[in-house]
Amino acid sequence: MPLATPPAPPIVRNAVTASGLWRAYGSGEAQVVALRDVSVAFASGAFTAIMGPSGSGKSTLMHCLAGLDTTDRGTVNIGDTVLTGLGDKALTKLRRDKIGFIFQQFNLLPTLTAEENILLPASIAGAKADPAWVNRVIATLDLSDRLSHKPTELSGGQQQRVACARALATRPDVVFADEPTGNLDTRSSAEVLGFLRKSVDDFGQTIVMVTHDPSAAAYADRVVFLADGQIVRDLHGPTADSVIDTMRDFENAVPLAGKAA
Amino acid sequence: MLRATLKGMASRKARLVLTSLAVVLGTMFVAAAMVLTSTMEKSVSGVIADAYQGVDTVITNGTDPAAAQGNTPSAATVPADVLDRVAGVDGVDRAVGEVSGQVNAIGSNGKLVGTFAPTIALTWDSGDDSGYIEFHEGDGPAADGEVAVSAKFVADSGLDIGDTVTAYSYTADRTDFEIVGVYGLSGDRDSLAGETQIMFTTADAQRMLLEGEDAFTTVYAYGDASTDDIAAAIGSDEYRVQTGEEASAEAAEGFAVVADFMGYIFLGFGLVAVFVSVFLIINTFTIIVAQRQRELALLRAIGAGRGQVVRSVLTEATVIGVLASVVGLGLGLLLGWGLSQVVSATMMGGLPVQLLIPATTMWALVVGIGVTVLSALIPAVKASSVPPVAAMREAVNPPKPLRGITIAGAIVFAAGTVLIALGMTDNLGGEELTGILSGVGIAFVGVTMLTPILSRPLVALLGAVMSWSFSGRLGKLNAGRNPRRTAITASALMIAVALITGIATLVSSIKSTTAEVLDLNLNSDLIVSGAQGGANIPSFSRETLAEIRELPEVAAVGDVYMDFFGTQIDGEDAPLASSEDLNAALGVFGGTVAEGSVTDLAPNSVVVDEGTAEDRNVALGDTVEVTYADGETAQLEIAAILDGYDLTNGWWVSPEQIEHFTLPKPMQAYIQLEDGADAAVVQNEVDEILADEPEVGVTNNAEFVDQQTSGLDTILAAVQILLALAMIIAVIGVVNTLVLSVLERTKELGLLRAVGMTRGQVRRMIIVESVIICLFGAVLGIAVGIGLGWTVQRALEDEGLTNFALPWGLIVMYLAAAVAVGLLAAIAPAARAAKLNVLNAIAYE
Repeated sequence: MPLATPPAPPIVRNAVTASGLWRAYGSGEAQVVALRDVSVAFASGAFTAIMGPSGSGKSTLMHCLAGLDTTDRGTVNIGDTVLTGLGDKALTKLRRDKIGFIFQQFNLLPTLTAEENILLPASIAGAKADPAWVNRVIATLDLSDRLSHKPTELSGGQQQRVACARALATRPDVVFADEPTGNLDTRSSAEVLGFLRKSVDDFGQTIVMVTHDPSAAAYADRVVFLADGQIVRDLHGPTADSVIDTMRDFENAVPLAGKAA
Repeated sequence: MLRATLKGMASRKARLVLTSLAVVLGTMFVAAAMVLTSTMEKSVSGVIADAYQGVDTVITNGTDPAAAQGNTPSAATVPADVLDRVAGVDGVDRAVGEVSGQVNAIGSNGKLVGTFAPTIALTWDSGDDSGYIEFHEGDGPAADGEVAVSAKFVADSGLDIGDTVTAYSYTADRTDFEIVGVYGLSGDRDSLAGETQIMFTTADAQRMLLEGEDAFTTVYAYGDASTDDIAAAIGSDEYRVQTGEEASAEAAEGFAVVADFMGYIFLGFGLVAVFVSVFLIINTFTIIVAQRQRELALLRAIGAGRGQVVRSVLTEATVIGVLASVVGLGLGLLLGWGLSQVVSATMMGGLPVQLLIPATTMWALVVGIGVTVLSALIPAVKASSVPPVAAMREAVNPPKPLRGITIAGAIVFAAGTVLIALGMTDNLGGEELTGILSGVGIAFVGVTMLTPILSRPLVALLGAVMSWSFSGRLGKLNAGRNPRRTAITASALMIAVALITGIATLVSSIKSTTAEVLDLNLNSDLIVSGAQGGANIPSFSRETLAEIRELPEVAAVGDVYMDFFGTQIDGEDAPLASSEDLNAALGVFGGTVAEGSVTDLAPNSVVVDEGTAEDRNVALGDTVEVTYADGETAQLEIAAILDGYDLTNGWWVSPEQIEHFTLPKPMQAYIQLEDGADAAVVQNEVDEILADEPEVGVTNNAEFVDQQTSGLDTILAAVQILLALAMIIAVIGVVNTLVLSVLERTKELGLLRAVGMTRGQVRRMIIVESVIICLFGAVLGIAVGIGLGWTVQRALEDEGLTNFALPWGLIVMYLAAAVAVGLLAAIAPAARAAKLNVLNAIAYE
C-alpha cells in the first residue's frame, strides 16, 4: 500500500532495532518458543502498533525491546545503545533515561500525587526534569488541575493520562505502551490514543504500542502483526478496517495461532 | 477444614517460624527462670546437707533466729552449761559447741578479704569424723592464735599457710593469727557457696565474735537421742532443738537468695517477652487473614460457617503455640541448666549443680500456648466476618478508619491519667500507690491504642529527616500507609523502650537528687567513707580521724558516728548519730540550727531536726528517753532543733554517748579544706593516712555520688538486657511487616524497577521504611518512659526524690539502638524486594 506521493526520506533513523531475536521459556517438552528469529526496526518519530493474538509473542517482543526481558539470541538496539549483554544496572539506567513506559494498569504509585508520579523517573535519577517541557506535556494532557490529586482520586482515564505524561516527561528515545487502553472505556481510550498520536505528530515522539484492539491500532502509522513468535504482516497507514481484514487474513493462513482476542 | 488449615500453614512456613520465635523466646525465659530457681535451691540444699552430714540434732538460741546466723553484732547464744546438759543426755554420743559468724580479715593488699561474699568464722572440731573438711596442708588450729583457712580464703586474700592474718569484728579489735592449715570441703570444693572461711579455736572464736563469753552460736549433738529428750534436758524454751535435716533445710533457704533473685530477673524477661509476643502474634495473624481473604471468602461461599473459619484460624494458632512452646520449653531447660552452671561458678564458688526441673515449668507451656491462641482470637473473629462475596471481588483493603480506636484509646488514657492525678493529690483514701501504679498501667494501654493515630504526624516528622533522597521519601510514604500496621509493629519496641527509659529516668533522677543534696550546701571537698562489704558497716579508727583533723590544709571535719541496731527514742525505733564536734560538723554539712545551740553540748543532750521533732511531738528543752543497742537507756534533753536538711535529719546525741554505740568508731568524715588548698594533694595525704584502714577510702564529692549510686548502675545494666531481648522480638515483628509490605507492593516495585529504579534504591527505600517504624516505636517508648519515670518521681517526691533528670546519654543510645534494629530487620525484606523479577511483577492475568 504505497503512499501516493512518497517523500524521499533523507535518512530513516531507527529508534529501536531488533535483529534475529529468539526467546524461549521452559525446557524440553514444556518449552515454549515465544520469539523465532524476529527482526524489526521502529522508525524514530513514528507510532507503531504491535498486534497479534494471545500467545503470539507480542508482549515478549516488547519486553525484550525495552530491556525488561533477556533474549536467547539476536540483538536489540535503542538509539546507539546495544541492549544485548548489558547488566542490570546499565539496563535500569537505560530504562530510566531513554525509555518511557505505559502499562495497562498499575502505572502509578498510590502514595504519590499525580505531579510526583509524572516526575517519578527524574526523581529516581535524582535529576530535575525540564520544567517547560513538563508543563507543556501536562497542558497537552489537560492535567493542570489534577496535579495535587492522589491516584485514588482520579478516574481511570485520568490515571492513564498521568501515566502518559510520566512516560513523556523525560523525553525518552522511545515510549513502550503495553495495552494502554485495555482497562479504559471507549471515550477515555480515544482521549489517551489521541494524545499518543498528538505526541508523535507534535513532539516527534517515538511510540511502540502493544494492543489487541484494531481501533487502537488504527491510531498508529504502522502495524506489525505477530503470530506464533514470528512477524507475519507489516501494515503501513492502517485503518480499523484494514487491521481487522489483515488479522482475519493471516488467522486463516495460520490456523494454529488460535483466535484473535 | 483441618487439612486445609495445615496445608495453608505449610505454605507460610517462614512467617510462622518468625512468629513462633517470639513465643519460643517467651516460653524459654519463663522455663529457664523456673529451672534456675529450683536447681539452685536443690544444689544449695545439697551442699548444706553435706555440711550437716551426720549431725543428728542442732540446738540454737531461739530468741533471735537472725543472730544465730551471725549477721548482727549481738549474737544470741547457747551458754556452755546448755552444752554440758545436752552432752549428758542418754543417747547423745557427742555434743559440740560451734561459734560462727562474720569477721573481717585483712588480705595481703591491706584491704578486706572477700567484699562480695562474707568471711565466715568457724570453730575447729577435732572430733569431726564426717570427712566434710579435707585438709590440703597443715591441720586445724591446735592452740589459740592459730587458724586454719579455706582454700578460697587463700585464693582471695593472697595469704598462705605460715602467714599471719589480721582479723577483727564488731566487738573484737584487730588480732593477728597464724595460718596453720588450709582446707577444702568434701567434693573437691574450695567454698560452700562463694564465701571465705577462717577456722579458729573455740576460745579465739568466742573472743572474736562473742566478746569472750563462754557460749556457742550452735550446739551439734551426735547420737540417736530424740529432740524431745534433748529439749527436756535443756529445760528452757529459749532454745530451739531441731533435727539435722530441719536445720539443714532452714539454712539452705537463706543461701538460695542469690538464685531466687536471678530467677526473678529471668521470669521478668520471660514475661516481657510474652507480652511483646502478643503484639507480634496479633499482627502476624492479621496479615495472614488479610492475605487469605479471598480464600476465606471462597470457603464461606461454598458453605463454611463463621465458626469454622474462626476455628480454622485458631487451629493454626494452637499448632504454632504448641510447637513453639515445646521448643521454648526445651531450650528453656537447657538455658536454665546453663545459667545454673554460670551462677554457681561465678557467684557461688563452684557449687556442684544438681539439676531439678520443677513441675511448675509446665506453666511455661500453658503460658506459651494460651498467649498464642488468645492473641489470635481477634484476627480469627475478623476473618470470620469476611463476606462470601469478597471471593468474587478484587480484594481491596482500604485502611480502616482510626476513629473508633482513637476515641477508645483517648478515654482509656484519660482514665489512667485521672487515676494518677487522684493518687498524686492524695485523693484515694490511702490507696495512693496502688492507684498511681494502676493508673500508669491503664495509661500505658491507652497510649498503645493511640499509636495508630500518633503514627501519622510522628512518621511524617521522622520521615522528613530521611527524605533527602527520593528512595528515602518513598520509604517514608510507605511507612505511613497503614497506620494500624505500623503502630502494632512499633508497639513491641515501644513497650520495651518505655520500660527501660522509665527505669533509666528514675535512676538518673535519684543520682541527680543525691548529687544536689550533696552539692547544695555541702562545704566539704573530700569524703572518707566505705561501701558496705565486710562483716560490719565500714568504719575507721578515732586515731585516724584525729590524724586527718591535724593535716594543715584541713579547715574542718564533719565526722559521723551511727548506730541503728535496736536503738530507740521514747520506745520507738530511731537511728542515732553523733559527732565529736556537732557545731563544726554542721558547718561542713551546711546544716543550720533553728532553735537552741549546738556549741558546748552537755553530755546528756540530743539534737533533732524540726520535722522529726514535729512527728514525735517534742520541743526544745523536752527530755526524751534513748535506748541504746546494748539495752542501756538514758534521759537526754533536746538542746537544739535543726532546720530540715536531708544530710542532717535525725537524732544527734552528744559525743559522750558514743561509747554506747554498737560500733563506737567514725563511719564517715566530711573534710573541708582551707581556701587555696589543692584537693588532689590533700586527697593523696588522706589516702596515705588511710593505708591501715581496710574498710574506707577517700573520694571527692563527685566520686562520692558515684559510689553512693553505683548499685543503681548495676540494676540499670541488668534492665538493659531487657532491651536487647525485646529488640530481638521487635526485629521479628518488623521483618514480618516488611515482608508483607513487599509482597503486597509487588506490582508497585515492578513499576519502580521498570521506570528505572536501581536495586540499591529499592533496598534503601525498604531500609528507610524499616528504620522509620523502629524510630517511631523508640520515640514513643522514650516519651512514654519519661512520663512513667516522671510519674513515679512525683509519687516519691515526699520520700525525698526531689529532682527529675533525664538520662540523655541513654536516650540517645536507645534511639541509636532503634536505628540498628531497623537496619537489621530490613536486611532480608530489602534483599527480597531488590531481587524481585520485574517481568513477573508487572505481568497481569
